[in-house]
Amino acid sequence: MLPNLPLSRRQLLQRSGMGFGALALGALSGGNGLFADEGAPPVFGNMLPRQPHFPVKAKHIIHIFANGGASQVDTFDPKPLLNEFHGKALPIKLSTERPTGAALGSPFKFQKYGKSGIEVSEIFKNVGECVDDMCIIRSMYADVPNHEPSLLLLNCGDARQVRPSMGSWMTYGLGTLNQNLPGFVVMCPNGYPIQESQNWQAGFLPGVFQGTYLDTKHSDVEKLVEHVKHNFSSPKQQRSQLDLLLQLNEQHAKTRQQDAQLESRIQSFELAYRMQMEASDVFDLSKEPKHIREMYGEGTQARQMMYARRMIEKGVRFVQIWHGEGQPWDNHDDLEEGHRRLAGECDKPIAALIKDLKQRGLLDETLIIWSGEFGRTPVVEMPKPGSNAGKINGRDHNHYGFTTWLCGGGVKGGHVHGATDEFGFKAVVDPVHVHDLQATIMRLMGFDHERFTFRYAGRDFRLTDVHGKVVKSLIA
Amino acid sequence: MLRRASFLSFLLSAVLATATTISAEDKDGIDFFETKIRPVLSEKCYACHSVAAEAKKKLKGALYLDSKEGVLKGGDTGTALVPGDPDKSLMIKAIRYHDDDTAMPPKEKMPDPVIADFEHWVRMGAPDPRTGTAAPKAGQAIAEQTKTHWSFQPVAAVKPPAVKQAKWIQTEIDHFILAKLEAAKIPPAPTVDKRTLVRRATHDLTGLPPTAEEVAAFEADKSPEAFARVIDRLLASPAYGERWGRHWLDVARYADSKGYVFQEDRAYPYAYAYRDWVVQSFNDDLPYDRFLQMQIAADRLVDMKGDKNTDDKRHLAALGFMTVGRRFINNPHDIIDDRIDVLSRGTMGLTISCSRCHDHKFDPISTKEYYGFYGMFASSEEPSDPPIIGNASDPKQTEAYEQEKAKRKKEREDFRAKTYAERLKELRSGEMLAKYLLAAQDALGQDDDKRNEIVSTRQLERSVFNRWRGWLEKIAAKHPVLGPWKLMVAFPDGEFAQKAKELLASNDHGWVNPVAVAALKGKEPKNREELSKLYGALLAANDGEQKHEDGSQEAIRQLVRGDGTPTAVAYDQANEVLNGKDEDKLRELQKKVDELASQHAGAPPRAMVLVDRAKPHNVKVFVRGQPGNNGDEAPRGFLSFIAGKDAKPFSDGSGRLELARAIANKDNPLTARVMANRVWAWHFGTGLVRTPSDFGLRTEAPVHRELLDWLAARFVADGWSVKKLHRLIMLSSTYQQSSNGTPAAVKLDPENALVSRFNRQRMSIEAMRDALLFASGKLDRTVGGKSVDIIKEPFTGRRTLYGSIDRQNLPGMFRSFDFASPDAHTPQRFFTTVPQQALYLMNSPFAVEQARALAKRSDGAGTPDARVQQLYRLAFARSASKDEVKLGTDFIKTQDGASAETEATPVWLYGYGVFDPQARTLSGFTKLPKFKDNAWRGGDNMPDEKLGYVNLTANGGHPGNSHAHAAVRRFTAPHDGLFTISGTLKRPAKEGDGVRALAILEGKPPLGDWEVTTGEVATSVGRVQLKAGQTLDFVVDGKSGPGWDGFEWSPQVAGIDGTNGTWNAADGFSGPKSAKPTLSAWERYAQALLMTNEFVFVD
Repeated sequence: MLPNLPLSRRQLLQRSGMGFGALALGALSGGNGLFADEGAPPVFGNMLPRQPHFPVKAKHIIHIFANGGASQVDTFDPKPLLNEFHGKALPIKLSTERPTGAALGSPFKFQKYGKSGIEVSEIFKNVGECVDDMCIIRSMYADVPNHEPSLLLLNCGDARQVRPSMGSWMTYGLGTLNQNLPGFVVMCPNGYPIQESQNWQAGFLPGVFQGTYLDTKHSDVEKLVEHVKHNFSSPKQQRSQLDLLLQLNEQHAKTRQQDAQLESRIQSFELAYRMQMEASDVFDLSKEPKHIREMYGEGTQARQMMYARRMIEKGVRFVQIWHGEGQPWDNHDDLEEGHRRLAGECDKPIAALIKDLKQRGLLDETLIIWSGEFGRTPVVEMPKPGSNAGKINGRDHNHYGFTTWLCGGGVKGGHVHGATDEFGFKAVVDPVHVHDLQATIMRLMGFDHERFTFRYAGRDFRLTDVHGKVVKSLIA
Repeated sequence: MLRRASFLSFLLSAVLATATTISAEDKDGIDFFETKIRPVLSEKCYACHSVAAEAKKKLKGALYLDSKEGVLKGGDTGTALVPGDPDKSLMIKAIRYHDDDTAMPPKEKMPDPVIADFEHWVRMGAPDPRTGTAAPKAGQAIAEQTKTHWSFQPVAAVKPPAVKQAKWIQTEIDHFILAKLEAAKIPPAPTVDKRTLVRRATHDLTGLPPTAEEVAAFEADKSPEAFARVIDRLLASPAYGERWGRHWLDVARYADSKGYVFQEDRAYPYAYAYRDWVVQSFNDDLPYDRFLQMQIAADRLVDMKGDKNTDDKRHLAALGFMTVGRRFINNPHDIIDDRIDVLSRGTMGLTISCSRCHDHKFDPISTKEYYGFYGMFASSEEPSDPPIIGNASDPKQTEAYEQEKAKRKKEREDFRAKTYAERLKELRSGEMLAKYLLAAQDALGQDDDKRNEIVSTRQLERSVFNRWRGWLEKIAAKHPVLGPWKLMVAFPDGEFAQKAKELLASNDHGWVNPVAVAALKGKEPKNREELSKLYGALLAANDGEQKHEDGSQEAIRQLVRGDGTPTAVAYDQANEVLNGKDEDKLRELQKKVDELASQHAGAPPRAMVLVDRAKPHNVKVFVRGQPGNNGDEAPRGFLSFIAGKDAKPFSDGSGRLELARAIANKDNPLTARVMANRVWAWHFGTGLVRTPSDFGLRTEAPVHRELLDWLAARFVADGWSVKKLHRLIMLSSTYQQSSNGTPAAVKLDPENALVSRFNRQRMSIEAMRDALLFASGKLDRTVGGKSVDIIKEPFTGRRTLYGSIDRQNLPGMFRSFDFASPDAHTPQRFFTTVPQQALYLMNSPFAVEQARALAKRSDGAGTPDARVQQLYRLAFARSASKDEVKLGTDFIKTQDGASAETEATPVWLYGYGVFDPQARTLSGFTKLPKFKDNAWRGGDNMPDEKLGYVNLTANGGHPGNSHAHAAVRRFTAPHDGLFTISGTLKRPAKEGDGVRALAILEGKPPLGDWEVTTGEVATSVGRVQLKAGQTLDFVVDGKSGPGWDGFEWSPQVAGIDGTNGTWNAADGFSGPKSAKPTLSAWERYAQALLMTNEFVFVD
């Protein structure tokens, strides 16, 4: 009943009497045929590791989502001229979602860090110390200034339609390196961001490739991962029950022709048995030594970053970390206070994550992405009922130009790509569209984004739709 | 008509001829092209933009630059060149390399002189001698292929081919299958044993396992009609419609919710009516053509009028096919696109949606045709009050429902009316009249930015502001009331006071309304603000409900109340004067009305219908899919490659009825083929055509093309009866083959394309969950009704089909078991294997509950051997072999020695103890015996005879009557580590002498000791080292007595320095935990049986 499974391979295995392990091996070594141009692409029915088109730069992705849209001019894109214009009208005018007024200088100081001397805002001083490993794209742009379409564009490559998310594409194309843990994990404390689970949807890909959501408000593994704990008998009793199951299944298989479906389901109980232990283990932060825990600091963000590192270490393919439910970075008012608090929560943990991965030799193979769905206007947002409670101290949405940074995973460190205009409004030098970013991420993970497709509804779909160019200068 | 067309074409050819002549004369231009342009095009562009590139599959953007026509026609992004205007020519824009997105050639920018040559060439009018046509292949190839493509041909009348092994033949189907097998020298698989066959058929037709009795009866029935009788029995079972209805719901992307929404209620309260209609239609064997027609145009096929719930009216629910899709935050274009997609892929295996932005790249479907379909849906609407089609699940509650609904509607309406009146009254106050008058004046002649600024800085209601602005623009300079205003606002700021004073002192006011004169005469406004206040006061003073008898006064009143004035807003436009908060509140009240329908048992089912709009209309093509980017008008009509080039556009209402008839039509080459293939695929696990929803040009003819045609023809000839099709298929030898193929079959037909055996099938999530309930004896066979929550405990025994599907938050269980995506039409389920599936069966409370129940059903069997036999009958509908009995009984024996685990102590316990105020110790902790009204307490009565007032709730409690009954909330550390304690102790009462609270670690001096009389005190403890199992008591004592000692205190214990976990007393509060003892050996054995491959695979 796997109508589109690469059947010839399966049948080959059946004839030669090889089992599940051999199937995995086949998938590993037969990489060149899996994403060929000709014919219908195969449908993978499992999470076994697979080879992409090119040698990989990055094996894992950690996507840190500043949801709501962090302000570029207050974080990673200093604009001294903006401060000079503070309170005055800017010479450039771009239409914004809500009425906006005069220039709003950044209340934060910037300082140079590292050998590269890249300037970073005081609210990200810890992250600033890692700047020589970071590749800062100051010329990002998206299509519209609304949260919903921009979130979907960044996560799924299309602003409205039902399309698989980046993590789903990655796990579909690459499988995962540890069968005892989910391959694509999404963390968001207290609930969902805007657009909810659509941000990590599998779209038309099989449902298993959808992100596994963890509410990191909890730290109890049972509440984090569904059905991961067995509460009804002792480990010993469960083991002997699974041994019995194995015998029953083997008897069943004996009277039937070799069948990969039967075999892989037998194996899945063994994987599940191990997952019970491994998942509990990966979320038990008491296993971290004190100096590491102190490096990350306290709080939910620190916990999320530590979980992410522990999962990456264990082979999870794609981890997405949201700052919090809803849109915390959406500071239409009280921006100074808001951004200071939000950065205060994640600055130390993010820096710790980078340093920790680096000291373990994992940063080279792990791509960290930091982004919001867009940035914020350099001009002040005018008061409007329902959005900023009459205060004039925040910024509106800005899709014309914003900053995203990458780190590790084969990108150039200490590198700044592109620029916004002198006020930080619009990307003007080497602009990078969201689709270009996705094409580049795909390339780092070993894919040609134009060839990595899935046939659905009579068409070959891809993450970047019909757009996107790899920004080669970002790649080391 | 004919004459006009030829005249037009004559004109056109004349124009073209002239154009050709001119450019041909321009020899210099041609020379320039040949020397400067053509070589560059050839070197830099043809690799991706030429007919040759297309042949190599390297064509990009559907753009051909190797012919004049190609350049002018352009590619996906429109014409590449506008002769004479380089700035409007995309080609020039691209080579100028300004925009990263379109910069060409891709590798690097060409030298500036070359770009200048191109600009010059375009300015010259782009002389180009090249001939050849653009894209001779794309369009023409599709047209050519369309003529011969297998699925676009009429269904052929095929005769079953002759075969050698005539004995194998049971139905005509077998001729087709066997002929190909014989040609390939593959013997068919052996006929399956009767037990397997009846299990296969029962699962296939009803989605349920057979009972042991049903298996035995079939095995005992030796007559030739035995299997036919089984099929008829199964087809007559209501479970048949539940199984096959669910197949169709995959096609229809069924869900019970709209997906992501802003503020409205997310539920579709009546989606279930569509689900039930589908189920019943399968059970009734509603002819498939009728089944489709109803789903496209039931509103036109059924009498919608009248209050009676006729059987006919029931069919209105069929339109759910169109309306149960995702709502895309109410974007109409995406909603319609979803409807076109489900319609075209679902019924005809065509991907019309591909033509939303450009002509279909692979199939003969134009953008114009897409927007013809779009027009039909744009000409249809969903009535706000969908028609009632039956009785409520609990008819006794219908009246209560109607009353509650009326009440909620009235609440909304009352709020609207009241707010409308209030807002209007405010807007007619002198202050507001002045404010808006001035704002409107200031905005005259200003651009959008300035206007926005005015609205936001002055905190105005935009709609009201716009009314004022529009109105003021039309006021004449010499207006009897506002004339002076117009004069004065023109005064420069510096001279305003002086000039205004002079004007208002003058006696030249014969043209001014005398009441206005009286109000203004002699006044000395210093600036425009003051002037506006004078006017505001003037208008307000003369406003009122009643007409003035005095004409001048009345004229002023008319400026506030008269038609078309800014503050005369009719009630039906009330939204114009409501502010954002009012509208939020209104939406909230509307949501309360809406959600009642899904929550109230008295709500009768309604049909989610579409109806034709009063004024159906065509739309214009959205060029590149962009609304507002209008192309040609797209007449509503059918696909020309099926209907023929001369087919008339649809004209009856929206056109949906004509559409329904064009699709559900025996002459439509696709409809019957697609459904016959679907039915085949749902039986065999794989279709004859392996892409059941794509029969387009890229889909090759199936190996068994003749069989598919024969099935399609037979299906139509049998009156589109799906049940007859089932019989035909299931009575064939083909269907009755073993899933173990012959060695030759496995070798020569590895993909089973020739159907040389049956495909082993894993149960879908529905079949699996239903089978678990079936084995446990808890399956509830109720048919139809509102959707139920199947995730939450206590678990329902309803079939999985009735589980509520929230497409936005599909529960993990559905996802990990490959449930059909409710986001879009699903042609075929996936069957993946991941450990989460195993975890569900091993650890989920649902699976464990079924294991327990199954084990219980074998309780009375007697000996262990008999018990194993009984369990096999219940789980597998067969008896166990000797080996299997031994395996089972051995398992039980080895398990008996193993001790059951003791249940872990709960983190929080609720009790009382003896508090010694001097020693500050607690002794004799005892659990409170009774849980009632969300509190742990002494007994039913309060105070309890023995224990007095002592009780504990989530957030607080009450100490007992003496030190012997101090309230104690006990925390037991679940693991070692370092912890902090936080919380706030509150005692609201003003009377009495207060309470004393302590945190006591067993055997140690108190960690904290707090008192509060009235008010609150923080109860924090810095760092506490705890060992697993150690207890920490939160004690509250009433001091001298229990009077007014109700307190609030929900302390929190949190791990620090890397210690995991946070335990908040309020969050962790619970009543008595239902006893969940560990599984017994027999229960674990039963669970193992339910996890086996035998249980979830059907051979």
